[in-house]
Amino acid sequence: MKAETLVFGFIAAFFALMTPIYWFMAGEIAGTFGLAFAGLLGLIITVYLAITGRSFDPRPEDRRDGEIFEGAGAVGFFPPQSLWPIVCAGVVTLIFLGPGVEQAWISIVGFGIGIWAASGWILEFYRGDYSH
Amino acid sequence: METLDERQVVSVEAAGRSRPGPGVRRMAAAASAVALMALAGCSEQGARLGLPVAASAEAPNMGNLWIGTWIAAFIVGGLVWGLIGWSVIRYRRREGDHPVPRQTKYHLPLELLYTLVPFLIIGVLFFYTVKAQDALVGQEGEPDLTIDVIGQKWSWTFNYMEEDNPEIGTNAYEVGTLQEIPDLYLPVDKKVRFNLNAADVIHSFWVPSFYFKMDVIPGHPNSFDVTPNRIGTYDGKCAELCGTYHSLMLFKVHIVSEEDYNAKVLELAASGNAGSVPLPDSFVNTLPTPKAEEDQK
Amino acid sequence: MTTQTARVATQEEVRTVSADTALGTKVMKYLTTTDHKVIGNMYFVTTMIFFMFGGVLALFIRAELANPGIQFLNYETYNQFFTMHGTIMLLMFATPLFAGFANALIPLQIGAPDVAFPRMNAFSYWLYLFGSLMACAGFVMPGGAASFGWFAYAPLSDAINSPGFGSNLWVFGLYILGLSTILGGVNFTTTIITMRAPGMTMFRMPIFTWNILATSIMVLITFPVLGAGLLVLGADRVLGAHIFDATHAGAVLWQHLFWFFGHPEVYVIAIPFFGIITEVISVFSRKPVFGYYGLVFATLAITALSMSVWAHHMFATGAVNLPFFSFMSFMIAIPTGVKFFNWIGTLWRGSISLTSSMLFAIGFLVTFLFGGLTGVILASPALDFHVTDSYFVVAHFHYVVFGTVVFAMFAGFYMWWPKFTGKMLNETWGKVHFWMLFFGFHITFLVQHWLGVEGMQRRIADYGVWEGFTFLNQVSTFGSFLLGLSMLPFLWNVWITRKTPDVGVNDPWGWGRSLEWATSCPPPRHNFASLPRIRSMHPAFDLAHPDLAEEDEAEFAELFDESDDSAELVEGGVK
Repeated sequence: MKAETLVFGFIAAFFALMTPIYWFMAGEIAGTFGLAFAGLLGLIITVYLAITGRSFDPRPEDRRDGEIFEGAGAVGFFPPQSLWPIVCAGVVTLIFLGPGVEQAWISIVGFGIGIWAASGWILEFYRGDYSH
Repeated sequence: METLDERQVVSVEAAGRSRPGPGVRRMAAAASAVALMALAGCSEQGARLGLPVAASAEAPNMGNLWIGTWIAAFIVGGLVWGLIGWSVIRYRRREGDHPVPRQTKYHLPLELLYTLVPFLIIGVLFFYTVKAQDALVGQEGEPDLTIDVIGQKWSWTFNYMEEDNPEIGTNAYEVGTLQEIPDLYLPVDKKVRFNLNAADVIHSFWVPSFYFKMDVIPGHPNSFDVTPNRIGTYDGKCAELCGTYHSLMLFKVHIVSEEDYNAKVLELAASGNAGSVPLPDSFVNTLPTPKAEEDQK
Repeated sequence: MTTQTARVATQEEVRTVSADTALGTKVMKYLTTTDHKVIGNMYFVTTMIFFMFGGVLALFIRAELANPGIQFLNYETYNQFFTMHGTIMLLMFATPLFAGFANALIPLQIGAPDVAFPRMNAFSYWLYLFGSLMACAGFVMPGGAASFGWFAYAPLSDAINSPGFGSNLWVFGLYILGLSTILGGVNFTTTIITMRAPGMTMFRMPIFTWNILATSIMVLITFPVLGAGLLVLGADRVLGAHIFDATHAGAVLWQHLFWFFGHPEVYVIAIPFFGIITEVISVFSRKPVFGYYGLVFATLAITALSMSVWAHHMFATGAVNLPFFSFMSFMIAIPTGVKFFNWIGTLWRGSISLTSSMLFAIGFLVTFLFGGLTGVILASPALDFHVTDSYFVVAHFHYVVFGTVVFAMFAGFYMWWPKFTGKMLNETWGKVHFWMLFFGFHITFLVQHWLGVEGMQRRIADYGVWEGFTFLNQVSTFGSFLLGLSMLPFLWNVWITRKTPDVGVNDPWGWGRSLEWATSCPPPRHNFASLPRIRSMHPAFDLAHPDLAEEDEAEFAELFDESDDSAELVEGGVK
């Protein structure tokens, strides 16, 4: 995870440098916050990757001599297909259609269906062919 | 890199044609001028690389940098286009070529060279940019006259603030409409300060012949100085989208002699337009911006 | 969470075989798919439709500008058309196209069975589609679509100056689009960090994958700013909040927020396409990428710099620090220059085949270079004061954005078409397509530089007869129709090759380098029947040309290598 950590570390370091420079040169608030939060995002991910990376040995993909067989076994679970993404996207659209046409009830309907849709998504693989 | 530096200095002067330099420089200047003429079809506007005729004392700051930057750009561009064209033509796959070209992956000294050399180029460019921009936005000294401009949908209001001018003694204003675009009269060779304010949305005050524009922002007063120096009539326009009739938000700039200017303002005042049009109360800036704070100091 | 990939794949295969070809089944397949390749293709088709829609709007704009006066559109419609043209091209065409290419290629290039979050991937696509439809729905609303320009400057975009549902729908539709892009960014970042095949270290990833990582980082940082800005604008419009009121500096605040997103957005739609160009040039020059490490660092430098240059869009506002933004903007020229020289280095002493794909890549180099040069000019405030908000800027960003996105998109299509569909596109029609597009593009936009410097301002429906803009505008309009027509050979090409036999090999070009060329065309459901051993940046090339295979340069790669601990375990087996 060393290289991954460094990529985000670079982002964090760059903005740690730029934020004070910008603040002192321009004295403008919106941009200073933008830069500072950009750096913060880099920092969060850097720290997360550094800590996570310490808890296991270098993965086969971190090593130049990694062999394909080392990656054998379960890669993870990949849903073969799912109807919920389109349903949830529809619900999100419905929720934002409310303010779009200035009709609060559309959003309320959207939130209502949203509970069902989000549950459907989350619980999809608790039953049926692919339950686990 | 000194040569590039030199070349820029030369080109900047070549375009201005105000200060003939030493012999070498003059020759280089002539050469670059010829090259430019050839490039741009020999017209006068062509020699300015598209810029309209300059009508202010400040404009050459931009105009010279414009020419100089383009020369630098065409040198760099010519080199890179040349390299692209050469490699595509020269290394095109032909019958009988070795089936596999050498698998070169890197060349560290070369890579360092083309990483570091551009720093010098942009360093030079940055130096001249800062010089030119300071000359364009700087507001040293008192102006000879002040004009308060208000942008409103979709025309301009010009307030000639001439109360303290002994030869005029009154403010006067002109409000343009969509049907009748306003005229802005400016005396030649006098430093004019424009104070820009907007009454509704953002506009942008652009007189192409001044090579300068500045946004007219509600709640954020702007100001710049300009010294018109060429008698004539020029186009002025709003450059920032301001709604439906943005393209019709035009005005005419008349640069006239001082006598004509005084007469025009007095005529305007006499025709019922004495005084000035204030900005609507709601648009007086309430929060200080860093720049406004500086101005107060 | 431990079902084996292999098992799922088998079940899916069974499903596909037994599925009948009824329309309903086909529709359900697309509605419910979580396969990154299918979703990638859906992105391609959808973005292509929006590309053509935006293009038609552009043709209306050009037709209107061919002559002074008002001919075809009225002022308001004109404003709606260029607003939607800009919005569609940037946010409904170019940005999702990045997601399309990333979807279609990233798992293949790093040797993964799918992206990290397949359902979220589908969710992103549907959000993109619905958000785009919502933003475009303004055209059927009573007041028409949004007409305040794609950067929606407050206070022009508030409820007083731009009333109507069309504008509301634009704001919220774009928010949904932003959400879609953020989720895409999360997905690609996670996929690249966690799902690479063994031996595929970060510094063996193809440049395209690196560029997608860089782009995703930019998306993660900047799109939330857009989302927040849009929600606040929406609150101003719908709920009567007063955040962006001009009386308390809201006008400048919006510009800061918008451009903090808006400038990196330009790189979001450029960097992935730089990656495509890099791959295309490398394959058709038959050489590895020249200066791989330099390219990676240049890309990361652009990523970081892109977020510290936003206010060069605001030089004329008198509200920003000119030297800071001018200098940072100039700085971007350096990594971009490095990229250019690396591309030339890749071409240099290569063995170049001028296929349609390669023609588009070279067309990109030629075009983008000019956009880059005018970009340096625009980074200078002294020059920017004159040319900003003029047609010079319009010409500049079309050179940059069209030059990158469209040229690189077609370069990518012609190269990866067999990988996406199994079919080869016709080369002759490809070349007709290229030359029409190339000349159409340059005729349209080259003259616009001149118009802008002469004094033609942006976003005008009309100009004066006395201004002398007519001739060049007519040239530009002619070019734009040629450009529009250039889509026909492409569509015809897709049509005539739809039933040609599959290419049947892993790598129809013979010189493919990255891992996607080591699997079939198109790849199976979970991408790889078997993975080759990865010992360099170009595993597929090593597999196909074992005699030329060589390890990557240790002196750089060792810097980031972590194999020390287990070195003795595999040392014998490797060499």
